[in-house]
Order: sequence, then C-alpha cells, then structure tokens
Amino acid sequence: MDTPIVEMARISKRFGDLQALAEVDLTVHKGDIHALVGENGAGKTTLMNILYGLYRPDAGTIRVRGTEAHIAGPRDAIALGIGMIHQHFMLVPPLTVAENVVLGDERGGPVLDTRGIEARVAELEKRFGIQAEPRAKIEDVPLGIQQRVEILKVLYRGSEILIFDEPTAVLTPQEVDDLFHIVRTLRDEGKTVILITHKLREVMAVSDHVTVLREGRNAAHLVTKETDPRAIAVAMVGRELRDIRVRPGNVGPAVLEITSLSAESDRGGLALKGVDVEVHAGEVVGIAGVGGNGQSELAQCILGLRKVTGGVIKVGGSDVAHDDPRRTRQRGVAYVPEDRRAEGLVLPFTLADNFILGRQDQPPYARRGILQGRVIRREGERLAKEFDVRPPDPDVEVGTLSGGNQQKVVLGREISESPRLIVANQPTRGLDIAATEYVHERLLEQRSRGCAILLISSELDEILDLSDRIAVMFEGRIVAVLPAAEATEERLGLLMAGHVEGVPA
Amino acid sequence: MRQPSFDWTQGPAIPVVSVLFALVLGGLFVWISGHDPIQAYAALFRGAFGSPYDVSETLVIAVPLLLAGLSVAVAFRAGLFNIGAQGQLLVGAVAAGWVGALWPDLPGILLLPLTLAAGVLGGAAYGGIAGWLKAARGVNEVITTIMQNYTIVFVMHWLLQNGPMQAPNAFGTPASAPIGAGAILPIVLPDFLVPSSRLHAGIVLALLATLGFWFLLWRTSLGYELRAVGLGMRAAAQAGIDPRKRMVIVMAIAGGFAGLAGMIQVSGLFHRVYDGFSAGFGFDAIAVALLGKNTPVGVLLSALLFAAFSRGGTLMQSDAEISSHLVEIVEALVLFVIAAETVVRAVARRWGRPVKAAS
Repeated sequence: MDTPIVEMARISKRFGDLQALAEVDLTVHKGDIHALVGENGAGKTTLMNILYGLYRPDAGTIRVRGTEAHIAGPRDAIALGIGMIHQHFMLVPPLTVAENVVLGDERGGPVLDTRGIEARVAELEKRFGIQAEPRAKIEDVPLGIQQRVEILKVLYRGSEILIFDEPTAVLTPQEVDDLFHIVRTLRDEGKTVILITHKLREVMAVSDHVTVLREGRNAAHLVTKETDPRAIAVAMVGRELRDIRVRPGNVGPAVLEITSLSAESDRGGLALKGVDVEVHAGEVVGIAGVGGNGQSELAQCILGLRKVTGGVIKVGGSDVAHDDPRRTRQRGVAYVPEDRRAEGLVLPFTLADNFILGRQDQPPYARRGILQGRVIRREGERLAKEFDVRPPDPDVEVGTLSGGNQQKVVLGREISESPRLIVANQPTRGLDIAATEYVHERLLEQRSRGCAILLISSELDEILDLSDRIAVMFEGRIVAVLPAAEATEERLGLLMAGHVEGVPA
Repeated sequence: MRQPSFDWTQGPAIPVVSVLFALVLGGLFVWISGHDPIQAYAALFRGAFGSPYDVSETLVIAVPLLLAGLSVAVAFRAGLFNIGAQGQLLVGAVAAGWVGALWPDLPGILLLPLTLAAGVLGGAAYGGIAGWLKAARGVNEVITTIMQNYTIVFVMHWLLQNGPMQAPNAFGTPASAPIGAGAILPIVLPDFLVPSSRLHAGIVLALLATLGFWFLLWRTSLGYELRAVGLGMRAAAQAGIDPRKRMVIVMAIAGGFAGLAGMIQVSGLFHRVYDGFSAGFGFDAIAVALLGKNTPVGVLLSALLFAAFSRGGTLMQSDAEISSHLVEIVEALVLFVIAAETVVRAVARRWGRPVKAAS
C-alpha cells in the first residue's frame, strides 16, 4: 500500500473543559474523495482546522506525504499543498473573479498583470472543468459561482489537498450537482479532497472513503461502496434511528385557506403572485422550492408580519390577511421561524423568559401587568424537561445553548399552547441528525393531534418524509400540488427548477 | 452543555476599571501641568464629601443626574438612544414652572401633585414625539432628540424674554414668576443637622423613580416587552409585540423621567424657570447611563460619581488652584474608556475564550 498523503494520528484537542477531540485518527490517500462526517460538535471542523494550522493539537502527530509536519498556521499548510474552502466565502465583492483568485498571491511587480492573471485563471478553469467568468464581478455572480472562485483560489496556490467545509450548505440542488462534478474532476486530475459534511446523501453520492466522528472520537472508518446510509447514520448518532415516515392520518376540515395571495418582497418587487394553498386539520402540506421563491414571504403573510397586497388568508374560516401577529396568534397560529437566532428567540433572555415570549401579559404569567416570576420559572423548568432542553435550567441564557436545544425552546413554546396551525419555516436548518429527528417527531405528534402544518423546507428529504401533500413553489407561485405518494425527488427537482409539467420544455 | 466560565466583562468590573483608569490618566495630566495629583484628588474628594454640607450639595447635583440617567437608560433598554434627556428636562421644567405659578395660592396637597404631573407629562409628551416619529416615519431618534434639545432652548428664549411666561415685574430679566409656596419641595435636612442645606425632597422622588425603573423593567409585562424589543426586535415582532408601539411608549417614559428631573429643579431648587436653566445635565446623563450599564444601582452610583466630580471639581479649583477642566478631562476619559469597552470585550472574547468548536 502506498504512503497516505495525510496521516493524522491520535490527535487530541481540549477547549476549556470541553474535550473537542480525543485521540482521533484520520488517514487519507492520494486521489481520494474522503468524507469526514459527524453530528454537530463531533469535532470535524476542529480536526480540519488543526490540519490547516488554525489550531495547534494538544497531542498527536500529523504526517503529510509520509513526513512529520508541524503546521503552525495556514501559511505552513499552504506550503504543504493543503487548501481550505471555507463555509463562509472570503471574497471581495467589487473585484472580479480573476482578481479574487490571485488576491494575496499577486505575482510579479506592483502593477497587476491583468491579462496574464486572467489567462492563468482561464487555464485553471479549463483544466478542472470549473466555469466562472474571470471578468465578472463577485457581487454579480450567484453563490454557486462564488464557491467556484474559492476553489480556484485554492488551486491557484498549488494545493494538492483540498478541504471543503460543509460546501453544500448554501447551494441549490442544481449547484450541488455541479459542485460534485467539479469535485470528481479534481480527483481525476490527481487532487485529494476532504469533504466535511453531515448530509448522508452527499457522502454516498461523491465520496470514496468515510471517516465518522462522534463526540470527538473515531466512530467508524468505512469504504463508501461497501456501506449504506443507514450504517453511517448509526455510526454518527451512536444508536439505531427511529423510522420517521408519515402514515396516512385522519384529515379534517380546512384550517388554512389561502386564495390568490399576493405580497411584495423587501426589495419592492412582487414576491407572491397569486398563491393558492389549503391545509387541513391533521395534514402536513410541504412547500418545496429553492430558497427565495417566496416561501418566507408566504409564512410572513400568514403570521401578519408582511403586508398583504391582495388575496385572502383564512384561518378556521375567518380572514386574517390584515391582522397583526398578535391577533393571528390568538386564532391558534404557531410559527417556527426560519432564523431561530434572530426571529425565534431573544438570545440574551433566559430559557424561562423565552418560553413566555408572546404570552408575557397573559395569565398565569402575568396578572394586572405584573410578571409572576415564580410561575414563569416553574413553567420554564417544566417545559425545558418536557422538551428535553439541555441543560434544563430555566435561568440559562438561551444564546449559550446549542442550535438543537435552541430549536427545542422555539418548538416547545409554539406547540405547548396546542395550536391549530403551525407554520414551520426550515425547522431543521443547521440541526444534526438527532435534533432533526426530534423536531420531526414532535411535528408529526402535532399532526396526529389534529393540527394543520404548513412545512416550508428546501430539504427534499424532509418534505418527502413528513408531507401528506407537497406544493412546489417557483417564482412566487405554487406551480404544482402533488399527493406525497406521487412525488419523487426527480419530479420535484424539475418542478422546483421551473419546468411546468405537461408543457414540453 | 457546559456552563460558560466566569466572564469578567459582565458585572461591575468594567465600569470600575474604567473609572480607575480614567483617574490615573487624569492624574497624569495634573502631574504634567506641574501639580501634585494626590493633592488634587484629595481636594476633589474634600470638595465633594468633606463636610455634611458638601455631601448635601453633591446630592443636590446627583438628583437630576440620576433622573436624566434613568431616562437615557430606559430608552437604551428598548434599543433606542435618547440624546434628548436635556430637552425633555427643560420641557418638564417649563411645564412645572408654568403650572406652579398658575395657581400660586392652591394648597400644597393639590399644587405639588399638579406641578409634578405637569413636569412628568410635559417631558413624556416631548419624548413621545421622537418615539412617534421613529415608529411612524422611521426617523432616527438620535437626530430628532438632538433637534428637540435646540428647539426647547429657543422656545424658552421666546417664553421668558418678554414672552408669555416672563414674570410681570421682571424688567427684562428672562425668568418666570416664582411658583406658589404649595409647589415647593421641602428641604429634607434640618438646619441643626446641616446648616443651610439645599437638599430637598426631590431626592426621595429620585430614589422612588429608581425603584420604579427597576420594577417597570423587570417586574412588569411592559418592561419585559421593552427589553424584548431592545434585545431581539424581530423575535418580539413575530411573537405579537409590536415594536413600533413600544418605541413610542418607551420614549414617553424616558421623557417622563427627564421631565421629573426638570420639575424637581424648579420645585426643589430654583422655584422658577429662567433662561439657561440646568444646562448640561441631560448630556452628562448619557455618560451616567453608559457607566451605570443601564441598571438601577449602576445608574445611581454613577450619578453620585459624576455629581461628586462636578461639585468637587469646583472646590478643587479654588482650594488647590487646579483648573476644574481637569474634572472634565477625567469625565471625558471615563466616557472614552467606556466607549472602548466594546473593543475590550471583543479582545476578551478573542483571547480569553477559545472559538467554539463548531464541527
């Protein structure tokens, strides 16, 4: 067997009293696509930050091409041919693609040789099959192209080993396919790729080997061809997964009826151009769509957070289109917002205080305008236990909780009042497998209680797993509504991309 | 989930360090100017607390500072920057001076509450205008409150200089008629304790207001809503707390605190309104609120500190022959260090604690 290109042995790293990594091994061979997977907090990014020189390990050795390496900073890593494509792009928006690629590594004299640079960048693009117009400005190109610029930057510096940190988090499904095509080309050209992710589908689609971390330790090392998603998930979570699949339930009368709803976006254009959708009691209607096609505006209109310019929104038979959030909520509408940190929670508030947000002036939490501190604390403690928030301490600041626990607080608050309609916008974004599973179970529990659920998600798996019916949204309209049994990933994917069924493209 | 380790940037550490740092730097200035810093600070301290009379004079200054500080702090809690405490204080003073002189023969049991209500409501209305402009038109409250500070100064010129509020027998002096005896706040320290003390019952009102500030923010639904808007506007909005309504309310409350300060200056100290009345308290109040971290005890302590600076500085000038501008330098340094707190915090975050492991 040849010498591995990267060999990290018994790496340990401690932050305060948190053991982030405990004797972790990682072996990557040249010309491989190696997936590094694990739940949030498993230590994936920490391990890669060590390889890239952003952290020093407390213990352990790193060998690159068989020689022991002491990587004190990214400069050392780059010299060893290691490059990192960060989750958050580090590009200068007013500069061109080519200028961004050479930024920080401008060869030659003080005058930029624009033509030479563009030629070199074009050459890289050709060799690795990466298309990104070198003269376009970064601010004018979509996220998928910006990511390609990050890749080109790393290649331009001569990297042989490319680390991708959760590269698909910000991409549309189409862009993800394109990215994987590029990643395969990189491998075929002899580069080595390390892919940090927690999405099993991506692991199966593109990787050759998989290293699974769990709670800072090695949990498994697998060959992708010889394993299946279930085995990887079990290694990640450390237990068997429960089977969450929606079973046909008892569908009741319509709770939410939306007819020809229109509304403007923040930028002034029309975000909703006549949306019609209905959700019945005991039913989950999934809204599938690429982000930015009006889904968030739809949720905001239902809640009364956005001005409705036309159409009707009925909840339980009464028109709420022009109600404010308070009145809408009084009709039994609950909301799990897209951005839990900005919209779902008041981060500096305590757990108990966040549980009463929106009910701060109602008994038993307040009497004659005076807060009932003891009741609030006691309720906070009870709800924290009921919804398994860790730690179940009513006085803890929610800003210090993990994403999964924060979402439990939001969800707990919203469903503890037994709503008749839940509008959930991207309820599992950024959550790991265990927390996602928890959110899904709770939502389905509400469905079997007879609650109507409007689920907005850009994760097709989530839509397919939970929905009774699926509505596809494209450019401010619902372009199709399918029963879940008739929906396939391919069909939804096409609809999401704007292909209207029955009309030849 | 582990508990975060002790964070020294919370609590009173930063304000205390800021003040000490500012005092040391100020001492350096004294030394450069050829004086003895120890002597200077001794004179400052004597001036502020040297005798019972000095203490009572310091408290006389602390009262309006405390109330104006609460005004700035309550707005801060809801995420608004009230630069207008000064203007609201003046409106409160004018309203109180007008009502107090309107029916000079009314008994105190009627006239004092009326005067008080006039001061508070006057300030509240003035502050409420800025809140309403922000809520309805999105006008930045910093701009409107600054402009309001000027507006009331010129309205006072007009009212007092040969205007409708000038005292009938003033002969050109820009001052209003004295308020009725019933509108006067009594002196709280009798002569046999502190001879000729000017410390009036306004101190009781100010302490009650501080208690009210705490109760409102941490014990009422409205206070919860104000803090929620200040700390998470979008979260509050989606939960049904309309931030715009709360902005109007909180600016009115802020104006009420400042208006009370103005009323107290009239009823407790000057017994009339005159041009150039109580200049500057509303601006020092911003520093008081910042140093006090918008907490009731913090604002109380920093109002005392700034009052001591102000009172002691005057005496330091006469006793130790050191310019009272030194005090202004120290005050400015305190502000400077407080303002730098954000920087200190950022540095503390970066070096004191590791970046959270996020994989």
